[in-house]
Amino acid sequence: MLLETRALSKSFGVVAALRDVSFSLRAGEVHGLMGENGAGKSTLIKLLTGFHQPSSGEILLDGTDVSFDSPRAAQAAGVAAVYQEINLIPERSVAANIFLAREPRQLGVLTDTAKMVADSAAILGRYGLAIDPRRPLSTLGLGLQQMVSIARVVSLGARVVIMDEPTSALAGAEVDILYGVVEQLRREGRGIIYVSHRLSECYRLCDRLTVLRDGRMVESAATGDLPRSRLVAAMLGRENAAGSAAAPHRAATATAAAPAETAMLVTGLSWRTRVRDVALSVRRGEILGLVGLLGAGRTETFKAIYGAETPDRGQVEVAGRRLAHARPASSIRRGLAFLSEDRRSEGIFPKLSVRANLTAAVLPRISRFGIVSRRRQTELVTRYIRELAIKTTGPEALISELSGGNQQKVLIGRALCTEPRVVMLDDPTRGIDVGAKAEVHRTIRTLAQQGLGVVVASSEVEEVLELSDRLIVLNEGAVAGELETAGREPEDVLALLAAAAEAHTQ
Amino acid sequence: MSEQMAEAAPAAPGSPQAQVTDGTWIRSSSVYIAFAALVLFDFIVTPGFRNPAVIRSLLFDSAPVILIALGQSLAIGTRGIDLSVGSVMALSSSVIGITLGMGQGGSMVLGIGAGLVCGVFNGLLIAVLRIDPLISSLSLLVAARGLAQALLGGARMDLPFDGPIPWLGAATVSVIPVTALIALGVAMLFAFLVKRTTPGHYAIYAGASRTAAFLAGQPVRATLAFVYGLSGLLAGVAGLFATARLGAADPNYIGVQFELDAIAAAVIGGTPLSGGRISVVGTIFGVLLLEVLDASFIMNDISATYAQILKAAFIVGALYLQRAGG
Repeated sequence: MLLETRALSKSFGVVAALRDVSFSLRAGEVHGLMGENGAGKSTLIKLLTGFHQPSSGEILLDGTDVSFDSPRAAQAAGVAAVYQEINLIPERSVAANIFLAREPRQLGVLTDTAKMVADSAAILGRYGLAIDPRRPLSTLGLGLQQMVSIARVVSLGARVVIMDEPTSALAGAEVDILYGVVEQLRREGRGIIYVSHRLSECYRLCDRLTVLRDGRMVESAATGDLPRSRLVAAMLGRENAAGSAAAPHRAATATAAAPAETAMLVTGLSWRTRVRDVALSVRRGEILGLVGLLGAGRTETFKAIYGAETPDRGQVEVAGRRLAHARPASSIRRGLAFLSEDRRSEGIFPKLSVRANLTAAVLPRISRFGIVSRRRQTELVTRYIRELAIKTTGPEALISELSGGNQQKVLIGRALCTEPRVVMLDDPTRGIDVGAKAEVHRTIRTLAQQGLGVVVASSEVEEVLELSDRLIVLNEGAVAGELETAGREPEDVLALLAAAAEAHTQ
Repeated sequence: MSEQMAEAAPAAPGSPQAQVTDGTWIRSSSVYIAFAALVLFDFIVTPGFRNPAVIRSLLFDSAPVILIALGQSLAIGTRGIDLSVGSVMALSSSVIGITLGMGQGGSMVLGIGAGLVCGVFNGLLIAVLRIDPLISSLSLLVAARGLAQALLGGARMDLPFDGPIPWLGAATVSVIPVTALIALGVAMLFAFLVKRTTPGHYAIYAGASRTAAFLAGQPVRATLAFVYGLSGLLAGVAGLFATARLGAADPNYIGVQFELDAIAAAVIGGTPLSGGRISVVGTIFGVLLLEVLDASFIMNDISATYAQILKAAFIVGALYLQRAGG
């Protein structure tokens, strides 16, 4: 056994973050670590990498008891983690980053750049990464930066590589590159702990899957022996598992939508080279999906419709009325709401309360002569906390204390306060765990049932397919296809995406 | 003023900062602790500190600084800064000086108006031309001081001995100067503005996240223009108070380095430089703390050179205490 933990526990004050976890990792194994937010995954990783010290229990590396008092010690022993946020220096070259703080020397003082570049090229080449080591790191996409990060820890001698949500920042092709890298790591006999929210990814890559819940290990089995239903049940606890099973509501929305009138009509929309002549429409009660690879223009399309970016051409009509010179403020007044994919920096106000966050878009409506009515504010806040079942200690709780799913519900509540006719949600479940995801989906369906037009984009084809009544495929900023989703499989959508990409390259 | 006013974020009453941990408690009340400790120290050690004349003089000095510190806290609350306030005070003072001929009432209005014009100009640079507030207000710091000196030919101009301006410079209610009472009244209006009105809320939203505020349809740029305009207006009034107290319009003396005290007071008082929160009561006590500190040095015969170093050390200490909560 390469790495093993025995009855590992960690408490912070009275809070037990990890309880009695006995986990093992073989050489050449990809071991998926799953669980909802707060299940204890990060705590386990931090114990393994020396950020925290266990309260009790042991960590064994190659069968011998070890204790890491710092990440540096863990790294020296061959255990290293690659995080979502890359902690390298963007301005310096790829090679300099790989050899950061241990540059090969010439005459004792000068960096031997030639050797560094050659060695970097060799390391990158071994993992099938065609990256010029002399390029500044910042000129690479986030995905490739992450690969550089992996190359760095491997070149530091890591035998246990921990990947924390490696694919959440990656575009389609980059995911394949990552898979290639993982394969190579496996062939080299390294052990990989792979943390991800995405089931399909874990099933494709991992040899074994371990599920944590509430700090305990609730499931650990070879991937082939663990059906998805059992995995989801383990992650959520049995009582929730039934509710998360796909979409009984679907049929209802679809039928309700059939005869309804147009809620939003977009024609000839263009913005720079990122949005090209996009036309789309959504009916009342309908959920329209937007799919496309990363960089296909989903976010840009939303922002151009909403007026967060000023489109060069094109028209947007909401409920038959044209939005002229759209800005977010005027779009909101006309009944159009938008939730950004980047919840943390474009959605929430992290330092402010749930109350302030929920009512951020409607201050003029709850004010008279510029004085905000606390009573009307409280009414709105309590109403949406109740209707959307937002889990919070109260309206005055800081939004940053809420889980991702509940933050998203606050933002949906913020949109609903404006009494919109159309709601556009860009990747609404990004970074949200499985249980909360199902709940956000339910909320989105409810919006449509109430007669709103809903447009949803996601990087996960399955998600859009499951949610929407109809979907539009974007490619290179242009509409490349449309599909009624009833009875369709993800493969149908992928085929459309592939066809679009091919048509474009020709 | 109630404790609620200190928490002027839209979160206001029973806001979560109050209930969480001891560390947070220290952070949010460090300015009051430091102020109480210093006053206690002075009462015991500093000769003559108990004299009402000292307290009166202290409050006279504090009134204009409170005004500019309030404006500063609002600018900092939007994650900006206003370095121009000291120079704008000087400009206001010079304008009062050269317009005395048209009557003191008119010259007071024009002096305050000059502050407002500076503030609006600064606000437009920031909101319309999108110049960083640090740069725009720095250039105004230089320009307004220069203009103030040019208006009076670089010289000091004494005020007449009677009329409303000299009255402002001397009038008290028992030991409390009228200017300090006005500053307190302004502070209460200001707290209401920040806590209860849409422009105040918009300022805090803009400080907490510009992009989120823009996407929520808020008038971010108008808010910024308003914030810096208000800061200029308050600096104009502060210039009037300082002029009245000095009994002269003096572009070389009035408001010199006051922007630094205003910034220090706001930050010590619990308005973080990272924006999204404004503490009105804390800002006032931040000013009082710095003023008492200055007075303590003078009254204990500490040379001005060392006093500056000690003051700096004290400010760093207070900020550290504030950070300690986390």
